[in-house]
Amino acid sequence: MKTKIALLILFISGSLFAQEQKMSAAEIAQFKEDVNVVAKKIKTLSTDFFQYKHLDFLSKDIETSGKMIFKEPALLQWQYKKPYNYSITFKNGKILINDEGKKSAVDIGNSKIFARINKLIVGSVSGNMFDDKEFTISYFKLKGQNLAKFIPKDATLKKYIKQIELTFDKEEATVVQVKLLESSEDYTRIVLKNKVINAKIDDSVFTN
Amino acid sequence: MQKSTIQFLLINCFLAIVLISCGSVTKNYTPKKLDKTSYTVPYFTDSKADYVYKTNISVYGNELSGIFIAKKINDTTHRVVFTTEFGNKLMDFEISETDFKVNSIVSELDRKILIHTLKEDFRLLLKKEYQIQEQFENESADIYKSADGKRDNYIFISKKDQKLEKIVHASKTKEKFTLLFNSENNIFAEKIQIIHQNIKLKIDLQQLKSE
Repeated sequence: MKTKIALLILFISGSLFAQEQKMSAAEIAQFKEDVNVVAKKIKTLSTDFFQYKHLDFLSKDIETSGKMIFKEPALLQWQYKKPYNYSITFKNGKILINDEGKKSAVDIGNSKIFARINKLIVGSVSGNMFDDKEFTISYFKLKGQNLAKFIPKDATLKKYIKQIELTFDKEEATVVQVKLLESSEDYTRIVLKNKVINAKIDDSVFTN
Repeated sequence: MQKSTIQFLLINCFLAIVLISCGSVTKNYTPKKLDKTSYTVPYFTDSKADYVYKTNISVYGNELSGIFIAKKINDTTHRVVFTTEFGNKLMDFEISETDFKVNSIVSELDRKILIHTLKEDFRLLLKKEYQIQEQFENESADIYKSADGKRDNYIFISKKDQKLEKIVHASKTKEKFTLLFNSENNIFAEKIQIIHQNIKLKIDLQQLKSE
């Protein structure tokens, strides 16, 4: 019995360690500083992404993947390659879409929300996302990673997105995962892999 | 006298045209002896399966694309969710033959007429069982007529391979909208089109194959 309890305690404390721990004020300041220093050096960024759409009632996440390209100050493109070809480009306040060759520059229903999420993602690589006018931000430590959670202050945005979580690699101080939680227990998780920083990217890439 | 004859002829011609164009939906079908009294749709019936489609909605010249997801959540009800490619949920419904619930919808799409139209479309798309009252045929299909309130549904089963290929929702005189199915195995429809005849609305669904 004693052993069982001991094991249980060990297990519980073990899982506590595995979970996220709140950062101290000093750690938050250091983390922000690290991200800002790296972000300032980033002129371009391209990365593979793997998107997992989780809906509570589905048996499996819906998986899509492709490439994301960013260029300073605010050119951003998501190219979905699997299982379909679809790209969405943010450029000069416009949204350009290429859907299996069908091109459009139409604002989709929730583009405002979309633009704000992307502003946040752009912000996370360009270093000006820790602006707490728009979000209530909390900071956590994980094993080898840092985690920042953003809760929208704006009621309209909050209706669609309950919380945004950005996971950073501790060493590189860049984003490795974006998680967008919707009002219910549904979320979109995007994992970024094979990052290339400051390769030459021509502006002409950012078109549909 | 001559004038009124011409008028009479004109009116007759007009009436004839009206009558022809208002002819029954079944005018091109040949009646046939009923070979079954009910039909069970093979699609969207597996409660273990996630039905996921890449979707294009074309409405009065506007294009909207995203992911259509349907899942049978109990014996009577399907959950239907439409998201953007990015994953943002645009609408979330629960539909059965008798009930309809909007779990969520973005304000930009929150229009009564749109919700009502989609409700009718999806309800027919997900309908499982049809009671058959009449039967017809054309060159390529057996056609089963099933009453649906004041309207009727016409179910087209291909003669070649016995697959459900089309359902037409119609009033007594006019086709309202059509569902077209393409299926390899007659269990899962890889491609579906919902085409409206009276409004400019077309929904294309293409199976999203997971790698």
